[in-house]
Amino acid sequence: MSLIARYLEENGIPTVIVGCGRDIVEQVGVPRFVFSDFPLGNPCGKPRDNETQLGILDLAFTTLEKSFAPRTTVQSPYRWSTDESWRERYLKS
Amino acid sequence: MTTTENKIDTSRSLYIRYMDSTTDHYLAEGYNNPYQWARFEDVPFTPLKKPLSESRLALITTAAQFQPDKGDQGPGAAYNNDAKFNYVYDLPSNVVPDLRISHIGYDRKNAQIEDQKVYLPLENLYHFQEQGRFAELGPRLYGAPTLRSQRVTSDRNAPQILKMCQEDEIDVALLVAV
Repeated sequence: MSLIARYLEENGIPTVIVGCGRDIVEQVGVPRFVFSDFPLGNPCGKPRDNETQLGILDLAFTTLEKSFAPRTTVQSPYRWSTDESWRERYLKS
Repeated sequence: MTTTENKIDTSRSLYIRYMDSTTDHYLAEGYNNPYQWARFEDVPFTPLKKPLSESRLALITTAAQFQPDKGDQGPGAAYNNDAKFNYVYDLPSNVVPDLRISHIGYDRKNAQIEDQKVYLPLENLYHFQEQGRFAELGPRLYGAPTLRSQRVTSDRNAPQILKMCQEDEIDVALLVAV
């Protein structure tokens, strides 16, 4: 996805990526990135939760409007849960 | 008694390093050729040409079209390599399609994807269009495969998506990476 954003941008189309994998997107290097610090699979909000779903999209629009340089990362203000244990369980069975 | 309230909250700086954990995982599983992510020094940047409220927006997704004959693709389904797609697709943007993410290595233990809007925000984009946040959605949404080959992504798929954006007179693109 990062490669596609870069290609569109090189050809004159402004882009914003919304995603959960910050290290990957930032390593590739993209113009604008909204980092949703949620478990992979939920970039656009929590299920059945209008506040996070609309809030993250609105942040993506604001990021499109306000960014003035590449490698702009904006972190979403939402937390998946007050319990942070989901971070420990990725790829651990 | 806990002292949680006195601890420094480091969660915001401790975002998960997926590249490290994925590489470790595959090495531990016996694969000795872990994936190498691309890395660029230079990053392109194109400013908006007109206000967002006057811009036509494209949605680009890595989700896959549901294929009933390709095994379990429902919420929480195990990783389903058969459900992968290799070629760019496009669908009308005025109908919400049935798109799935069983072909992607998302967090199956913690994600809750019963609500498609968490990875395909089409209905929420209709809402913002009605509000005038952007002028309109383009006529199509575009599906981008997640391929191991960076060359195919850059040399074949990206140009195809650009061509469709140009045909649809797209001004700005929202890419949702699942």
